[in-house]
Amino acid sequence: MEFLAWLEQTELSLWLRESDWGHPIVLCFHAVGMGLVVGISLMFCARVLGYSKSFPLAGFDKLFGLAWFGFAMNAVSGVLLFIGEPRRLLLTPAFLIKMILIIFAGFSLWILARTLQSAEHPAGANVVSLREDVVSRSAKIAAIFPIVLWLGAIISGRLIGYTIGPPPI
Amino acid sequence: MNEADILHWIRDTWLGVTVRQSRWIFATGETLHFIGLSLLVGGILIVDLRLLGFIRRIPVRAALAFLPFVIVGFLINLLTGIVFFSADPMMYWPNPAFKLKMFLILLAGLNAIVFTVWRQRLALGLCDDESGDTFTKVSAGLSLSLWLVVLLLGRLLPAFEGSTKFF
Repeated sequence: MEFLAWLEQTELSLWLRESDWGHPIVLCFHAVGMGLVVGISLMFCARVLGYSKSFPLAGFDKLFGLAWFGFAMNAVSGVLLFIGEPRRLLLTPAFLIKMILIIFAGFSLWILARTLQSAEHPAGANVVSLREDVVSRSAKIAAIFPIVLWLGAIISGRLIGYTIGPPPI
Repeated sequence: MNEADILHWIRDTWLGVTVRQSRWIFATGETLHFIGLSLLVGGILIVDLRLLGFIRRIPVRAALAFLPFVIVGFLINLLTGIVFFSADPMMYWPNPAFKLKMFLILLAGLNAIVFTVWRQRLALGLCDDESGDTFTKVSAGLSLSLWLVVLLLGRLLPAFEGSTKFF
């Protein structure tokens, strides 16, 4: 708590909290990053669940590069948003829930990728003859989790804006 | 009826009154607005990046198949947008960021119609690994840029509240 109180009194924190443009600009980056990460994740999950079957799964490689870029953008803008009001955020359940949901969402995408890879290269099978868009049942089940978790992260993120902070130091 | 009369009328409609009285309609609307945004951005990225030639290994038809996500995302945001506007029309209407945002959404819609009418058939005939002609690329680039600015203006709306600068 002492550290957070110190953080909240730094120049950067003050600028992020009280300047005309600091907070809105950081929020802009955060919204674009969200669009990239969640948007691409949702389209990928839709594809795994059977949408647009002629869309090669490998076609998502470059899009996931973009999603990672969005994630990096949101990690940086997220840290800045935290520096702006560290005490309030750490005391807000919605914030902690959001962080947990993001970790789980990332983890669920990793599991989904692993599931798809193991379906593409089953032991002993001729890899070349396998079509790349064969999706197993377990992969489809795995594709439901990122959708639910990202939507949960958006909901809890929005709720952060509706909680009241502690009084100024 | 002048401008102020119309804004007052909207504010006093059943919708406007209900939204202002409720503790949760506005917050739920905002959450849905973000979800709609994500659907729109995800879908439009696939469509526009394919037409621009960035993800050429994907068949154009398979990429354009993601358009319904864009349309659903847009409709969610149009409806929730109407909910926001009805709650406080006098705040939104004079806001320069709001005006520019609405104008750019119209432009993006017009751009989508122009592409659909003049180039969609041609684009669907593109082979895998082929990118569109200059017209298609300009239209796709315009679409991406317009939606990006629309998103940014939406986020900046509160910062322009009460401002008449720039426009």
